[in-house]
Amino acid sequence: MIGKVLPVARGIAVLALVGVAFYAAFHAVQAQQSDQPPERFIAPVDVDTAGLPGPVQPIFYRHDVHAGQYEMDCLYCHYAAEVSSSPGLPSLDACMGCHLLVGGGNPEVAKLRQAATERRPIEWVEVHKLPSFVRFPHMRHVMSDADIKCQDCHGEVERMPQVYQFSSLKMGWCLECHKKEEVTTDCTVCHY
Amino acid sequence: MAKQMDRRRFLKVVGVTSGGAVAVGCSTDAPEKLIPYLVPPENQIPGIATYYATTCRECPAGCGMHVRVREGRAVKVEGNPDSPFNAGRLCARGQASLQGLYNPDRVRGPMERGADGDFQPISWEDAYARVAERLGQVSGDRIAFVTGNESGSFDRLVNEWLSALGSQGRLVFEPFGYEALRYANQQVFGVNALPSYRFAEARHVLSFGTDFLETWMNPVQNTREFAAGHGLNEDGMGRYVHIEPRMSMSGINADEWIAPNPGTEAILALAIANVVLTDHGDNAPSDVFRVRQLLGGYDPEGASGVCGVPAETIRRLAAEFAEGPSLAVAGGMGNQHDQAHATAAAVNILNYVAGNIGRTVAFGSNPDPSAGSTYRGLADLTQRMRDGAVDVLFVHGANPAYSAPTGLGFVEALGQVGFKVSFARVIDETAAQADLILPDHDPLEQWNDFEPRAGTYLLQQPVMQPVFDTRQTGDVLLAVASQMGGGVARRFSTQVYKDYLQNVWRARQNQLGGSGMPFDDFWAASLQAGGVYQPEPSRAPRLDRNVGQLSFVPWSGVEETGSGDLTLIAYPSPVFFDGRGASRPWLQELPDPVSKITWGSWVEIHPATAAEYGIVEGDFVEVTSAAGTAVAPAFLYPGVRRDVVAMALGQGHSELGRYAQGRGANVYNLLSSEPTEFGGLSHYQKVSIRPTGEHEVLASPAGKKRQMGRGIAQSTTFEEVRAGEGHPFHVEHAAEVPEKIERVLEEWQAAQDRERTRGNYAGEHPRWGLAIDLTRCTGCSACVTACYAENNIPVVGKLAVQRGREMSWLRIERYWEGGEDDEPFTVEILPMMCQQCGRAPCEPVCPVFAAYRTPDGLNAQIYNRCIGTRYCSNNCPYKVRYFNWFDHSAENDPAFAFPEPLRLQLNPDVTVRTKGVMEKCTFCVQRIRDKQNQAALADRELVDGEILTACQQSCPAEAITFGDLNDPNSAVSRSRRNQLNYRVLEGLNTDPGVGYLMRVRNTVEA
Repeated sequence: MIGKVLPVARGIAVLALVGVAFYAAFHAVQAQQSDQPPERFIAPVDVDTAGLPGPVQPIFYRHDVHAGQYEMDCLYCHYAAEVSSSPGLPSLDACMGCHLLVGGGNPEVAKLRQAATERRPIEWVEVHKLPSFVRFPHMRHVMSDADIKCQDCHGEVERMPQVYQFSSLKMGWCLECHKKEEVTTDCTVCHY
Repeated sequence: MAKQMDRRRFLKVVGVTSGGAVAVGCSTDAPEKLIPYLVPPENQIPGIATYYATTCRECPAGCGMHVRVREGRAVKVEGNPDSPFNAGRLCARGQASLQGLYNPDRVRGPMERGADGDFQPISWEDAYARVAERLGQVSGDRIAFVTGNESGSFDRLVNEWLSALGSQGRLVFEPFGYEALRYANQQVFGVNALPSYRFAEARHVLSFGTDFLETWMNPVQNTREFAAGHGLNEDGMGRYVHIEPRMSMSGINADEWIAPNPGTEAILALAIANVVLTDHGDNAPSDVFRVRQLLGGYDPEGASGVCGVPAETIRRLAAEFAEGPSLAVAGGMGNQHDQAHATAAAVNILNYVAGNIGRTVAFGSNPDPSAGSTYRGLADLTQRMRDGAVDVLFVHGANPAYSAPTGLGFVEALGQVGFKVSFARVIDETAAQADLILPDHDPLEQWNDFEPRAGTYLLQQPVMQPVFDTRQTGDVLLAVASQMGGGVARRFSTQVYKDYLQNVWRARQNQLGGSGMPFDDFWAASLQAGGVYQPEPSRAPRLDRNVGQLSFVPWSGVEETGSGDLTLIAYPSPVFFDGRGASRPWLQELPDPVSKITWGSWVEIHPATAAEYGIVEGDFVEVTSAAGTAVAPAFLYPGVRRDVVAMALGQGHSELGRYAQGRGANVYNLLSSEPTEFGGLSHYQKVSIRPTGEHEVLASPAGKKRQMGRGIAQSTTFEEVRAGEGHPFHVEHAAEVPEKIERVLEEWQAAQDRERTRGNYAGEHPRWGLAIDLTRCTGCSACVTACYAENNIPVVGKLAVQRGREMSWLRIERYWEGGEDDEPFTVEILPMMCQQCGRAPCEPVCPVFAAYRTPDGLNAQIYNRCIGTRYCSNNCPYKVRYFNWFDHSAENDPAFAFPEPLRLQLNPDVTVRTKGVMEKCTFCVQRIRDKQNQAALADRELVDGEILTACQQSCPAEAITFGDLNDPNSAVSRSRRNQLNYRVLEGLNTDPGVGYLMRVRNTVEA
């Protein structure tokens, strides 16, 4: 089966690569055309990993590089957030879509490639954890009329070298927003 | 989940979405680690369910299923709406198929009996080599292969495989063989086949001991069609008379129960046929002259003396039956005494003279849940084994060591077989004697097909990766053939069973209406629908030329040494079928629809008989027949005749895993091992009983047996409905309310109304409600198991049930009416779940607001808020709140209910409750919220009937309706306006959200 799936993954990889390249090029063109070129975020090369908040991950995956510097859309990897309760995690093959070709010199990418060779999934450490008695439908928030951005709850992930829990995720914090937006605060909306 | 998904294994049916879990993962507790897929599986989005169509193999009926899969694991099975049999409904046994898949006692890989007699793990390759080697050493005529009913490609493969080995030693063994019915059809019509019975078209059903709502043929289809044909509608109402010495679950649903002398049903049927023919013979076909003389010998007066049924009753039954469209059924396993073929033959003649053959009884589609199996076949094989004529025995999907009477000596005969290979998924009594166990995939992990009747080709597809290191037996047989090489290997063009299966389907593509399309498209379309359903072929046979020579003698219960004067009826368990369901904890904890007893066996004895023997309920009784002895506690039941005791088959396993082992008594061992004239087993036996002096509290969640005037389960008669207007049957429970209290109530209501204008409560909201039609409800309890499955309800075990600590959010209450001093005996049943009261007594007593009323009319229970005072439960008049005395989800707790891999069955959309928390039905609030989310995302309104509660979805009788009571046009509101509607204990002023339509019985004036 693997033999059958991999070509597909490669196809996706090439498409993704082309996509990212176009995206970058487009932004470069935009920057040239406008009078005041928007400041393009450049993720720092050296980061003091010891001082970073948030749990240490098995691979030092940089949201600030991917979502910040390269401006990849959150939904590119967290593909289910608009339709499902669960935002979705990128599969290993989704990572390898690009990293089959790029980032070869990086020791963290090397870890990823090693895992891909061994067909072993990466065991990421959960950062935003809700108790099991809470239901959080991501799609209702992402698609809501209130124009909620991912960052409103998760913080500026695109500036975080290592992701940490930005909001308390406590019930009071949920309710604050629900009250402000005048949407339901009924218990059984989240608890069942 | 660190599984690489095999994309070819997943074919999507329909991407129905669902509200969801917190994170990607297998556990319901939010995992510490987030483990992504290696390859994203096709059609699977985390948090959204995928449904796969497959076929239920829990019994040979062949119902279609949709299996709900979340994150790569099956979490719920539902009926396939495309199936012509179950039309989206599913029985309790079907619901519990999930616990076959996740059974903690499954054989986890191939095993061989070691030198010390214990089973040792072995590799699949070694196992193949062992089998191939052994087969190479023996001649074909010394090989035997026993299977259960496999009426598809696997059946064909086994036969081809055996023929490649030069063997004709195939035996199909189903304990419920319908031998009597097939034999009688041969006698009367010259057709050795079973017909289809059309309950939907019958307005008068006469059942001669046939439990057609429980285990007989396809009970889900029977129930659905019976509810339609029998229920109240514009044209009036059907009538159902049950004739059996014991009132079975099917009998409970009858309008009239007649208990003839045990074993005299044939004479009764002939007498009815006689009156039909002489007085109402207009519909009779021309060739009835063949039976005219025969029937002439059975006048009602003479039959009355034999059967113990008054002659005027016989005449009345005949008149009603002749009015038609009618249907008489016989051949139920619970009525299979050694003259059961005579009953079936007499009923065939009765149907014939009433003109039912070709109308409500249709031959030609040949459904055969037993695939031609006879008990005599097993007896013959046992004899050959005993004689040393069998060297290699394969057993697949059958357990004769359990379901054949000990007298047959099957286990001893096994000792004479040199090499025994079992394909059992859980070590059963037969597998325990095997030399090699090659565990088969669970049906939910298999590629397979099944043809329960002509014209219906059902498919099974794997809904998830195999849980253990098992292999499908089809693959094993092909692999062994290939290892053997030579002519055997050349017989098969493939080593993969799925290819074999597809080749069969490729060959029949045109015949199944797939001509002109690529095979892959035809295959995908068939998988998506669950199979190919063609119209039932139908023909009406004529009477056999020799039918007039048939002789009919009542069963006499031949006196054998050691037999007594009571008649034992060994009936099929509605819960465990022939015993195969006993390894499922949901089914063990499911109260039997009649006795309401869980986790064990019982002996049904008439209270008067019990008094004679000095037996009180719960006393252990030793039942002795000439064949053996069984001990079980007594259950006093006015629904058996005084000269009858009854016991259910299915319990008393010495193997079959932790849930079945050592529970109750194996009633097969009380039966005579001698095959009857028709080649079956006699389920009637003369027995004696004796109290052993021991006693136990019955493990039953049922409370009082009688309603004590509370009017909980109400019923009326068709006569009254026809005459009545408005609400004439309403039973008043309300005591006079003093004026002072009246004022308090008014003030309270005003305060409530004020609150309803504020916050979450402001504006328009639905009020969710349920309507349950008691005339349709049969008490089958499919809803109960569906509720367990949907809502992660833990199984608590026998001791906890004895202490009244069961967790069944939905229970079927059963009450007895009459039955004393020769009054007619009836049973009232009522599904009882949280009534979602408008003025709920549970809510104001909760000190922490864990119990409160939601804006949409649910009595919510917020588990994380609950501190376990249990005040709510004490204050609930319906007793529908259940307390977690233990931590059923904690591995180190003695009440741990989900040993690996059972926890994989947990619904990720429902919180798993912890110790010290009260829980209850909330109308499947997770399903409500899910549909609301979907509707909101699509920016549309919910449609009435879009939300299905789990109980409603499974109900084979379609008795349950769910919807918005605030919408006057919803189905549930319409039901609420029905004159038969009432609410339980309405006088308590609780304003329940559940309405019941009274059971209507089409009784006759006595």
